[in-house]
Amino acid sequence: MLKKRIIPVLLLKNGRMVKGKQFSNFRDTGDPVSQAKIYNAHNTDELVFLDIDATTLKTNTLVDLIKRVSKECFMPLSVGGGISTIEDVRNMISAGADKVIINSAAIHNAKLIHDASNSFGKQAIIISIDLKKENNEYVVYSHSGKKREDIDFLEYLKMMEEAGAGEFLINSIDNDGMMNGYDLELLRLAESNSSIPIIICGGAGHFEHLYEGLNAGAHAVACASLFHFGDNNPTRARSFLLNKGIPMKNLKGIIF
Amino acid sequence: MIGIVDYGMGNISSVYNSLDYLGCEATIINSPEEIEGLTHLIIPGVGSFRQAMQNLEDKKFITPILNHVKNKKPLLGICLGMQLLATKGYEHGETNGLGLIEGEIIPFEIKLHVPHVGWNNINTLKKHPVVGNNVNQVDFYFVHSYYFNVKNREDILTMTEYEISFPSIVAKDNIIGIQFHPEKSQEPGLNLLEAFCEWDGKC
Amino acid sequence: MTLRRCTKCMLPETYETIEFDDNGVCNICRSAEYKQGKIDWNKRKLLLDDIIEKHRGHYDYDCIVPFSGGKDSTFQLLYLIKEYGLKVLVVRFNHGFMRPTIEENVQNTLKQLGADIIEFTPNWKIVKKLMKESFIRKTDFCWHCHTGIYSYPIRIAMKFNVPLIFYGEPLAEFSAYYDYLNDEIDYEDEKKFNLVRNLGISADDMHGMINSEDDPVDKRDLLPYTYPDRREIKKANIMALTLGSFIPWDHVAQTELIKKELGWKCDDLEGVPAGCNSSCEKIECYMQGPRDYIKFTKRGYSRVSQITSFDIRTGRMSRAEAEKIVALEGRRPESVKLLLEYMDMGEEEFETILKKHAIPPYVHDFAAEKMAEKTWDFNYWYREKKQLS
Repeated sequence: MLKKRIIPVLLLKNGRMVKGKQFSNFRDTGDPVSQAKIYNAHNTDELVFLDIDATTLKTNTLVDLIKRVSKECFMPLSVGGGISTIEDVRNMISAGADKVIINSAAIHNAKLIHDASNSFGKQAIIISIDLKKENNEYVVYSHSGKKREDIDFLEYLKMMEEAGAGEFLINSIDNDGMMNGYDLELLRLAESNSSIPIIICGGAGHFEHLYEGLNAGAHAVACASLFHFGDNNPTRARSFLLNKGIPMKNLKGIIF
Repeated sequence: MIGIVDYGMGNISSVYNSLDYLGCEATIINSPEEIEGLTHLIIPGVGSFRQAMQNLEDKKFITPILNHVKNKKPLLGICLGMQLLATKGYEHGETNGLGLIEGEIIPFEIKLHVPHVGWNNINTLKKHPVVGNNVNQVDFYFVHSYYFNVKNREDILTMTEYEISFPSIVAKDNIIGIQFHPEKSQEPGLNLLEAFCEWDGKC
Repeated sequence: MTLRRCTKCMLPETYETIEFDDNGVCNICRSAEYKQGKIDWNKRKLLLDDIIEKHRGHYDYDCIVPFSGGKDSTFQLLYLIKEYGLKVLVVRFNHGFMRPTIEENVQNTLKQLGADIIEFTPNWKIVKKLMKESFIRKTDFCWHCHTGIYSYPIRIAMKFNVPLIFYGEPLAEFSAYYDYLNDEIDYEDEKKFNLVRNLGISADDMHGMINSEDDPVDKRDLLPYTYPDRREIKKANIMALTLGSFIPWDHVAQTELIKKELGWKCDDLEGVPAGCNSSCEKIECYMQGPRDYIKFTKRGYSRVSQITSFDIRTGRMSRAEAEKIVALEGRRPESVKLLLEYMDMGEEEFETILKKHAIPPYVHDFAAEKMAEKTWDFNYWYREKKQLS
């Protein structure tokens, strides 16, 4: 049986890791390679690296980082931040990324997703969508939450799935960094309107939130503040979820 | 010295990095002549069966690989590399594989999502020096749309369930094939790779 | 409020890494059962003999023993000197909170056993910054101590070229990050450092977190807490082991032994009822009270639950007796005042942070707290002086 996943999200800015609230007020959360090694020691299910200074893509910071991280981490690595061409995707995958995360570029360029999915396999393509709730409707935002997009959320999900997306990373801007729980309504909406796995992100503050997310249908729960600001780590999170009956990755062999 | 065959199919640096991390002496094989001096050989790979066999043939890797096996030296196939050990594959048409373990590579025809991606556990059917006692029920990272329909049950070491049961590790004499990615499966995966590097090829 | 506890010992659901089986028994109990029955200790002792002989006489010292003066490190030193006749270099990382009794114990131990000792106390101004930052992020102010104890002796090992290092208590004794079940030898390597020692924050991480333009911190100030590079460690053939992987660890018997052989003295603990500390743990640090109290406010259990659980597992106490003692835990120690002084933090901010980081389902009732009794040496503990202008 496929197990559920806990995915720490590592945000990068100027070569350091950061974390904010509602996409602003960022605090330093460490050195990326050091943090990757720490997550590796915890046998973390997967790691997501997002460069929120998208312009640094032009200086290859992210590519260099993935190369260094691949020497220390032996789990699936997903990378995002300003990825907008098939060349970008190729560079990331050659550097060691298993999956690429595309956000702003996908909104007006379904062909990119189609081509990338064909070339690298759909399991390598994650579409990340940032949303804010306005007048009881979920509105898609791009460019790290700065640009309001006109596209209908549910139609966008359908379009991306048809273009060949492998997974959706659904991010609540309102809940981000607030540590008060995921937007479960948003999760349910996404889950019932797509047939590919959903990774929910934004708002996890303690382990009960992770449980709520997985219980409400997420395939995987992404978190950042949870591990940066709190006496928590992925190993403890896993034990907590196991005790609640959620199937998590098992590392210890049972004598045959 | 452990050789990792580079035949243009997918990223081999993850496999190399994990061996380097473990402290096992490894090298990337770019030409067929380099295979003879090796003690262990690894065929990694991600992508199309047909393209893979074509590349192996073009780069003249097939004979040296078969000789390595004939000389009773250990061979490890990972993911696509494991599937290439088969008699035939059916991705993009029928193609002959290396024919080292009898069976065919066929697509998943199931209701669940394809490709099979994520952490799933393996169930041990018999003992083996590389696999040992430490992997029964352990989860490993899988990414594939096709699986190895093995002809002889005794060639199957572990099975995995994803709506159907399929072989996750196959083994015959000095050959071992792993469907999942040990280089992406954290500690249990690294332990397997380390055990392979220390194996003398005997069962 | 009631927490779910192991049906055998007293550890609750909020205990880190705990998992309950179908009978409600926790994984730490199961690991302990394995230790008692299925480990071939003879085989492990032979392995220890072998490792020691490979190092004996080849370097300026046969081995390093990281030493606090507490019950474990005192036992380790006694064991390695008496049982193996080793020439030991004792390395003591002083966290800054040593109590008078422990200092007396250290003197007595070293003078009776005879060994060279290097003691290091890091810069207090930096320590205060580290305490505050790690408390704010992790509600654990002991980052400097955890990282110092597990990095500094290894740095000394490399400087002095003494590759063999013996730490003591195996982690499997009280958590499931490592267990006895898979026949593991407990190495103090970088993976373990990142997994359980540094709270998920390396020295590199921490420097960026506390360094700012108005209050810059020299990167070198973080060196005592920096775990050496993995490749350098490999080159120097460093072997940092836990003695408890090779000989069965028995806290209570070991404490009796050091009392008998060395006149090692026990001490009382803030927040722990008298007569409850069977093995005299944690008497070497006067901040153990606030540390334990913080744990209680987040998780609803304290050292008392841990000690009684251990006593249940080793057959020294019944669960009914343990329940009575555990009912007394969770009192607030006076030394919380000192902690707030060191971190330059107000009571309100302190409580806000703790409330935010409670581990579900536990919710602490700050209003219903009782105060713990002071220990005899409370007035000897360091008080921050007012800043001279």
